[in-house]
Amino acid sequence: MFSLSSAYVTLEVKLGLKVTGRCALTFKTVSGTFFYQMEQDIRQFLGNLQPEFNLIWRTSTDSYGYMWIVFEGKRIEDLLAGLTTVGDIVEERGFSDQLLAAVFEFSSEREEGRRKLQYLIYNYKRNKFYPFVPTAEKAIDAEQQMKMMATIAEEIPFERDMTLWYPLWDLPLR
Amino acid sequence: MFTKKQPWQKRDTGLTARMIISFAILTIIYIIFLSVLAYVGVSAIAIAVIAGIMILAQWYFSDKIVLWSTGAKVVSREQFPELHDLIERIVARNNLSKPRVAVINTRIPNAFATGKTPRSSIVAVTTGLMDQLDAEELEGVIAHELAHIKNRDVLVLTLASLFSMMAWYLMRFGMFGGMYGGGGGMYGGQGRRGNEGSGAMLLILLVAIITWIVSFLIIRAISRYREYVADRDGALITGKPSKLASALLKISGTMKRIPTRDLREVEGMNAFFIIPAISGDALTSLFSTHPPVAQRVKKLMEMEAAMS
Repeated sequence: MFSLSSAYVTLEVKLGLKVTGRCALTFKTVSGTFFYQMEQDIRQFLGNLQPEFNLIWRTSTDSYGYMWIVFEGKRIEDLLAGLTTVGDIVEERGFSDQLLAAVFEFSSEREEGRRKLQYLIYNYKRNKFYPFVPTAEKAIDAEQQMKMMATIAEEIPFERDMTLWYPLWDLPLR
Repeated sequence: MFTKKQPWQKRDTGLTARMIISFAILTIIYIIFLSVLAYVGVSAIAIAVIAGIMILAQWYFSDKIVLWSTGAKVVSREQFPELHDLIERIVARNNLSKPRVAVINTRIPNAFATGKTPRSSIVAVTTGLMDQLDAEELEGVIAHELAHIKNRDVLVLTLASLFSMMAWYLMRFGMFGGMYGGGGGMYGGQGRRGNEGSGAMLLILLVAIITWIVSFLIIRAISRYREYVADRDGALITGKPSKLASALLKISGTMKRIPTRDLREVEGMNAFFIIPAISGDALTSLFSTHPPVAQRVKKLMEMEAAMS
């Protein structure tokens, strides 16, 4: 996932996509004390972030029963560090199967108004990135997604099988 | 272990298949005809001349054969004013001569160009192509076809096929020679027969077969290369590589492959643990006349990125 810390520059230079400073990680919640304990540990870790990492965070749960941890920060290194640390905690406690995805938000500065927010989704099951450019309710901009693939597929582990570019509608990033 | 192809993976082979079948039937008729000539004892030189005339005739009538075999109808400006306008805009901007315009009435999106010289060329599009693509994408596809005409790809491929055709004739006559050689006929001289003669015949046959196979593969390689060139030139004509790319994705059905179901809905279905099966892609790509869509799109998108 850390390969993104250099690849984002390519997106900015070639496609005019800027990191908005928002990213998120999502995992499926289950009941049980071990999971509850992990959740508390994550919250504790997040609570102690401030002096070291310049990040703010919040959590939410969606209608599918997935917990979202949303980070906001200025530096991509901090965002990546926050995400991977939470991911590590989840994996250490044996809940790696529950980890679904991490999402990175970008905004297009070239095209005003139209399809401003674009995303890279990191699929934990495949350990690969893929693009997600929603245009409207349940509609995507496939052309722009192909552009993103052509731009950075060589730099980061990229999902080349388009049949696995599953969208994440109604992202709770904002 | 091969994966079963999904419906969207199937290429629209109908149009190409009909053209190939038409030309194959013609070729078989020639060969039967020439074989009969050879059998009744017409001299080798006369047969070569007749074969030459036939190849020229096929070349001369090639566009008529293509139109007939695909069901394309040449259309006037009154019938399809928008299509004519679009083509005229492109040719005027790029100092090309305007080809004749043909339309095929089918829902399958496709397009092709044919013709011996840029002036007598025809650009044909299907009604399905016009329905499915927006104006800029259609422009991209037509620019690609105009690039084929500008680059004289029909001529290049016909010349390249000549070798293959000659090898084919040689191969056929080699076989006939082998069969009838024993009884005198067209090859065996009275004095020089037996082992020496049949050995030489076998060698000719072998060389002809190898020539044919190699030229077959080379023609396909040239054809694939010409497609890339036409993609590039077509994209330069319109200045919008990504529009041609998105047209290619639409035509090939690739767009439909991107799912719309939410990741959270499919997460439990183990969709991500399927081990990719070994595919026959490498072999099919050797024999196909067009490069894979993914490769073409990738090159076009790289162009787009370089231009922006």
